Amino acid sequence: MPGKELSDPCVDCRDAEAILTLRRRRLCKDCYIKFVSYKVFKRMENYRLNRGFAKDKPCKLLFPLSYGLSSSVLLHMLHDQLEVQRSKVHGSPGFDLHVLIIEPSTISPSNPAHDEGFELAQKCFPLCSFTKVPFHSIFALVPDIKETMSQFAGKGFEDDPSLSDAERLNAFRSCIATSTSKADVDHILMNRLIVAFAKQMDCQAIIWGDSDSRLAAKTLANVAKGRGSSVIWQVSDGMSPFGLEFNFPLRDLFTAELRDYASFFPELTKLIVPDEPLPANTLTKNLSIDELMMRYVLTQGEKYPGVMLNVTRTANKLDVSQMPANLSHCTFCAAPLMNEVGGGHTQFCYACARSRPSTSS
Amino acid sequence: MAPSPCFHCQTNRAVIIRPKNREKLCRTCFINVFETEVHETITSTSLFYPGERVAIGASGGKDSTVLASVLKTLNERYNYGLDLCLLSIDEGIKGYRDDSLETVKRNAEQYEMPLEIVGYDELYGWTMDQVVAQVGKKGNCTYCGVFRRQALDRGAARLGIKHVVTGHNADDVAETVMMNLLRGDLPRLSRGTSIVTDSAASDIKRSKPLKYAYEKEIVLYAHHKQLDYFSTECIYSPEAFRGSARTLIKDLEKIRPSSILDIVKSGEDMAELVPAEIKGKACARAADDESTGGCGSQNGRTRGGEMAEMEKKLADDEAAESREVEIKLPAQSVPLPRKKQNKGIKGSTQKTIKTQTMGTCERCGYISSQKICKACTLLEGLNKNRPKTAIEVGVGLEDEESSSTLMRQMERVQLGG
Ligand SMILES: [Zn+2]
Ligand SMILES: [Zn+2]
Ligand SMILES: [Zn+2]
Ligand SMILES: [Zn+2]
Repeated sequence: MPGKELSDPCVDCRDAEAILTLRRRRLCKDCYIKFVSYKVFKRMENYRLNRGFAKDKPCKLLFPLSYGLSSSVLLHMLHDQLEVQRSKVHGSPGFDLHVLIIEPSTISPSNPAHDEGFELAQKCFPLCSFTKVPFHSIFALVPDIKETMSQFAGKGFEDDPSLSDAERLNAFRSCIATSTSKADVDHILMNRLIVAFAKQMDCQAIIWGDSDSRLAAKTLANVAKGRGSSVIWQVSDGMSPFGLEFNFPLRDLFTAELRDYASFFPELTKLIVPDEPLPANTLTKNLSIDELMMRYVLTQGEKYPGVMLNVTRTANKLDVSQMPANLSHCTFCAAPLMNEVGGGHTQFCYACARSRPSTSS
Repeated sequence: MAPSPCFHCQTNRAVIIRPKNREKLCRTCFINVFETEVHETITSTSLFYPGERVAIGASGGKDSTVLASVLKTLNERYNYGLDLCLLSIDEGIKGYRDDSLETVKRNAEQYEMPLEIVGYDELYGWTMDQVVAQVGKKGNCTYCGVFRRQALDRGAARLGIKHVVTGHNADDVAETVMMNLLRGDLPRLSRGTSIVTDSAASDIKRSKPLKYAYEKEIVLYAHHKQLDYFSTECIYSPEAFRGSARTLIKDLEKIRPSSILDIVKSGEDMAELVPAEIKGKACARAADDESTGGCGSQNGRTRGGEMAEMEKKLADDEAAESREVEIKLPAQSVPLPRKKQNKGIKGSTQKTIKTQTMGTCERCGYISSQKICKACTLLEGLNKNRPKTAIEVGVGLEDEESSSTLMRQMERVQLGG
């Protein structure tokens, strides 16, 4: 619109005052949202256009929501995509999104239940369906997990069937020795739960809301924990060993960009439970490896966000097809047993063995 | 430490807590366990053959001194039948090597091994002191790095020896894995963990028998065996990515002592998953590359510089991409640039790609992917008294990719000079 007097015009639309700098470009709010959303839009293409899936019905996707910044923002963006998709009369059937919430208070008693968040999410994202489950529903969803847990925990753990599921899960979790192993084991259990739920719902893929820094930290932490062979499906788009696709659409966005995006939508601000900051004065040796890596990525990311983002990209370049065929898989985490001592006679992979009570350090 | 019995023999008093797994051991059992683990590494990888001549790259420092001591012990204990010698490089930096070379000379007597000291002046016609005098302090790290990379091989070649072992330990390997991950350097990630390097590209095999030995245990071994070594820490700050990786690994070790081994394991597994075409490159380039440790001369770099440079480059790429998106946006029909589609191709070419064209340097005959190897290129510059332009011409495009650090260092020479 010629004639408009703008002191700092948006470089995209040239029609509004720029309010933010995004990757060295001054943008207005609308163009900022458009740019950030487009990164995710591109990542969802296969599902939106039903590529590699049935063309006559929507592709079913599972979306785990933690109420954190990144998964909440991603859900918001995906819901926008759903709105556009539903508004088209002709076109691909696209995807359906089912949101799964593991009740935060059942993961740690210090987490708020956030019931109003559950209500709010359902209200804000009416095109999605929702389920909320407690962490201990893993026993119902993964029937053989009890046995695997007993074998994993070894002698130091006696499963007591007279207890409730919640108590049994807590008993198992409390026999894991160190904070690193605890975080590792919890992550595996939640993963198993989410995958099992996705399968029960006939979903074809799981859309993960990990942010760039979370992905970078996950990459480094997995490498540090001896999980190099499973890094690839922990942070890259593609087939997981569970027979479901994993997808990480936020991989190209910086956390700061997610924060900006969230600030534009008051409903998101209400939904999001901010991450508890890592206690600054915790001694390094008392952190878990996951926490150490998150701290590393966040501090380094202030100066070198691109370098941190690139860590994940590097992991993405690894090629699963190079994996030897017919490897057996770890019964706990499902990672392929690659280069194992003892040549595949073990039940648990190298990294899981590290987190077991008898061997954890 | 409260007196407690050795975890292994249950009789002697434990005097050591193993850094690797915190087992409490007596002196004898620790030394035994340490040596046995190196023996297992050697046998499980079939590292040597009977009668093989092996040069131990000896700097007089703890790693190579322990390596020499352990190899001598194992060679006798298990009848490897190796013909061992010590090979030292004298960079020609006054005062820097004097003490360490004295140590190596004593080691040669202690272990009854022949010692060869090869000087930069013999190999290149220039000592490092002369190089510094010529190019100034800022750029000499480039020379030191390139010259040193080749020196052990060239020294071994002079002796007609085809296998050089170095004292790289588990900490070094773990550090390299993390560093290459941070730098996004897949070719180096794919070869950094292998116990043997270069064998495909160079006719001199390099290996690291202490690959699974913790640095702390190497120090303990040297201490309890009362080995005679020269303790120097490199006083120069490491390259930024390596420095960052080093700090990270020290922290990880505090949290979970097994981390170092776990990273090595991850690195080994990931190396197998590096796409075949990148692995091929890695193999061909290995001869040009050996990347551990600081160098003996002032490098004039500020810590963090490499990370900042990479950050800037990535941000530039990012900005360029954003401008492209801007143009593409209205169309919204996006092509399918997926790596999945290439999988079939990758799989089928996997077997056919071996080493890419790997020749020998026209001047010196050293294995090189360039017509003229890096050392000769640098020498040409020195000899012409015009290092800057010569360097620029000498480094090909292909090489820039594999050795970006070197390239940057060279850029600095240009700027600094
Ligand atoms: Zn605009
Ligand atoms: Zn496992
Ligand atoms: Zn003992
Ligand atoms: Zn040459």
